[in-house]
Amino acid sequence: MILLKVNEMGKHGSNVEADYSKDKKRMDGRKGMDELRPMSIKVGVIPNADGSAYLEWGQNKVYAAVYGPREALPKHSQNPYKAVIKVAYRMATFSVPERKQPRPNRRDYEISKVLGEALERAVFVENFPNTEISVFVEVVDSNAGSRVACLTAASCALADAGIPMRDMVAATGTGKAFNEIVLDLNKDEEDASDAVDIPLAILPRSGEIVLLQMDGVITKEEFAKAMQMGIKGCKDIYEVQKAALKAKYELEELALNSAEKEIKGDATAQGAGEVKAPKAEKAEADSKPAKKEGKAKKVKK
Amino acid sequence: MSKKVVVPGDLVSAERKRLGSNVFVADGKVYAKVLGISDDEGEVASVVALEGKYNPQPQDTVIGVVGRVVFAGYGINLNSYTESFMPKSAFREELKMGDIIVATISYVNELKEADLEYAKKLYGGDIIEVTPVRTPRLIGKNGSMLDLIRRGTGCEIIIGKNGRVWARNGNLPLLKKVVKFIEENSYKSNLTNTIESFFGEVPSVPGAKGKKGTDTPSEESEVLGGESEEINLTQEKQESEEYDTTEGE
Repeated sequence: MILLKVNEMGKHGSNVEADYSKDKKRMDGRKGMDELRPMSIKVGVIPNADGSAYLEWGQNKVYAAVYGPREALPKHSQNPYKAVIKVAYRMATFSVPERKQPRPNRRDYEISKVLGEALERAVFVENFPNTEISVFVEVVDSNAGSRVACLTAASCALADAGIPMRDMVAATGTGKAFNEIVLDLNKDEEDASDAVDIPLAILPRSGEIVLLQMDGVITKEEFAKAMQMGIKGCKDIYEVQKAALKAKYELEELALNSAEKEIKGDATAQGAGEVKAPKAEKAEADSKPAKKEGKAKKVKK
Repeated sequence: MSKKVVVPGDLVSAERKRLGSNVFVADGKVYAKVLGISDDEGEVASVVALEGKYNPQPQDTVIGVVGRVVFAGYGINLNSYTESFMPKSAFREELKMGDIIVATISYVNELKEADLEYAKKLYGGDIIEVTPVRTPRLIGKNGSMLDLIRRGTGCEIIIGKNGRVWARNGNLPLLKKVVKFIEENSYKSNLTNTIESFFGEVPSVPGAKGKKGTDTPSEESEVLGGESEEINLTQEKQESEEYDTTEGE
């Protein structure tokens, strides 16, 4: 049984009631407790940046742009032993139901800091003394899990900028909602009375954990289960990241013949590839009817 | 494994090999550092980068822009991490901001600051910016691509390893088109032949020396493998450094 009180959504958290241990599916129509929301990544979307990525993950929409390595300014921020990674996490004013004040708040600063620390573990920062790598992540639409979405996009943008890295950074939310351990919580699940939200990021090759935060109360056993689920989710996300980066070049390869013919005119065939996870596509199809239902209910009220 | 597109952290070679460019070792295996095309045939495992900034190396020919004029000399923008400095005595005349110079890198220190030598002012001409890691493709094997472009467009061309192509006279719009095409298709094989056939269809440009197709090496080795001799030399120099980047995990 799902009840929506639309007026109170957003500001005070939704008053949605459900019990996942009895229900067979999740609020947004996902079948499994360990299923990710549909995700797609496109790299090279911002021509003036050294590297960039656009990510859609469920309702989350995120842009990431990378500049550098370049001279770190102000000069006192330089480190002669390594590059400093400066992340700016910002949310657009229209990215949340209630208008967000554009001035960066406590949460923005905190997330910028933890994202920078996570990325620093992946990048060969010691190769670029006295420089900075600027990462700008802008959330244009959000529905819980925006920090992990930003981290996933930022990591793709870094790779697109050609910055030497040990590994990609793959991130997902995991935790507990409505009496069940779930992967990739959406906003309704995050607002459940018993919700526990665990943003998690790993370096998939080595399994090193580079981001781990938690909000809520959870038992040891439940935590272990959530982590296991989260790490598996991160590895799925890693595959989407890899495919997105490779697609930019492999799709261009397919377009070679037409490009050769075009060179007499304007000689370009740009094909920044967009990739979707096969699993995600299926999930998207499943979740579409659910979305419509939600909207219809809003209108009625 | 042979040649394929890799992302950072992808396996290049499961066995320990000599380390080429853009790879590192973890747990006795060789992994890619950057987005690029891997090559583990032969004794060396390496990755040719597809994106990235200019990393100054000694002996590189670079094209600089005067970005700052002080009493003692000039700050030269090399499209690198830091600007380089040249004293006024290095030039026959006074330079002003925005002047273009060509120089050779004599020394790069541990902070990647480059010292320049043999500097020369360039008069007139245009600069075309390209992705620095793709400039080897503009030169081609033994300079074959560069020869071809020079003949086809009739331009005087200097290619800076820092991702700047300086050109003067000749058919500049055509040159820009060709350079852009090569840059965007830098990871594909057989580019020299593609460009050759392209020039073949264009009426000969006044001032272009020689005719199309004379003594051009028609074969170019596969995707990004065929780089100029110069590049191979610098790569070998890098290798000694690359051994140190072994990761202890």
